[in-house]
Amino acid sequence: MASPRSSFKLRISLDTWAVLIALLVAVLVRAGVLKSVPW
Amino acid sequence: MADSVALPQPRTLSFPGRVLALVPGVLLLALVGYAGKFLEQFIARYGKAHHLVLPNIEYVLWAILIGLVISNTVGVPAAFRAGVATYEFWLKIGIVLLGARFLVGDVLRLGGVSLALVIIEIALSLAFMTVLGRTFKLRPKLITLLAVGSSICGVSAIIATQGAIDADDEDSSYAIAAILALGAISLFLFPLIGHGLHLTDRGYGLWAGLAVDNTAEASAAGALYSDAAGKVAVLAKTCRNAMIGFVVLVYAIYWAGKGQAARVENKAAFLWNKFPKFVLGFLLISLLASTGFFTRPQITAIGNLSRWAFLLTFAGVGLRTNLRELGKQGARPFLVGAIGEIAIASLTLGLVYGATKLSLL
Repeated sequence: MASPRSSFKLRISLDTWAVLIALLVAVLVRAGVLKSVPW
Repeated sequence: MADSVALPQPRTLSFPGRVLALVPGVLLLALVGYAGKFLEQFIARYGKAHHLVLPNIEYVLWAILIGLVISNTVGVPAAFRAGVATYEFWLKIGIVLLGARFLVGDVLRLGGVSLALVIIEIALSLAFMTVLGRTFKLRPKLITLLAVGSSICGVSAIIATQGAIDADDEDSSYAIAAILALGAISLFLFPLIGHGLHLTDRGYGLWAGLAVDNTAEASAAGALYSDAAGKVAVLAKTCRNAMIGFVVLVYAIYWAGKGQAARVENKAAFLWNKFPKFVLGFLLISLLASTGFFTRPQITAIGNLSRWAFLLTFAGVGLRTNLRELGKQGARPFLVGAIGEIAIASLTLGLVYGATKLSLL
């Protein structure tokens, strides 16, 4: 029988992943890791 | 946009395997998008060097056209499809990062006007599509799906509603095909009409955001007009997306009341599940940019990263549009969708015109 711990599975939606990655990128720019992004 | 849109990945693969399976398609998106950007710059440089007046065709259109040619001639090979399907993911990242290019004051002012127009647009569109669907004797749940798809958020809204009202897969496929086909047509027609009517960037952007159904197509239709119009189109479309939960909830309760869908037990949880989270990300980045969290060069860098994310999206719009597949749909859903889209485009153009006359834009 699966324990409650093993049966728990965190599902992060595609939307949330996109927000988390975008925020991470913004933090990297703020921290100076990504300095200049050409277009 | 809804949470229920997931990347199509084979379940048997491990997590690293699933990520690796996306790489070819993502590279194809980048290649097609960059080819579009290269062509725009190459033609501009060529014209300048040879003193020729060549039409300035935006990279957005090139990326979409190259994608369309590939998907409708050689087709997108199976190994690339999972990665190509990530274009909506890049769209959401692009929208969140675009928040850096908006001051909170602009978001509140323009967003407030957009939200007011969105509420009017949704109410009138839902009513019109329902009457139109009944006139054409479409199945009731197909009418609901078409109404939601054309009034709010295109494909994602249809998928979210399908689950909430227990609609048939067949109805959902008809509605999605109609919305996709009409979205592809809008992409080319909207900029032409906008230029013909000499709309301002702000007016056109608001119109595209209110009237074009899918977020990717609305962003592309805006960017095809100008960079400024693209920004406004994304903001207006984001306001529209934010309403998805409320509309789907109303339909879910309606169909549950008729005994044809499951009851909604926890309405707050339902609304949160359907709410597009990238709207919150967009507002957060805009707030940070407005409070001086980022320097000017950093805002420029984040804005450019947003453009790169949109570039992948525009390539995906072309690559996922298969005209032959769209042509296989039923004629009546397409006809109802087309009449509805023309009515909604005219209505929203009138709303934008009215807002301009009242100096709200």
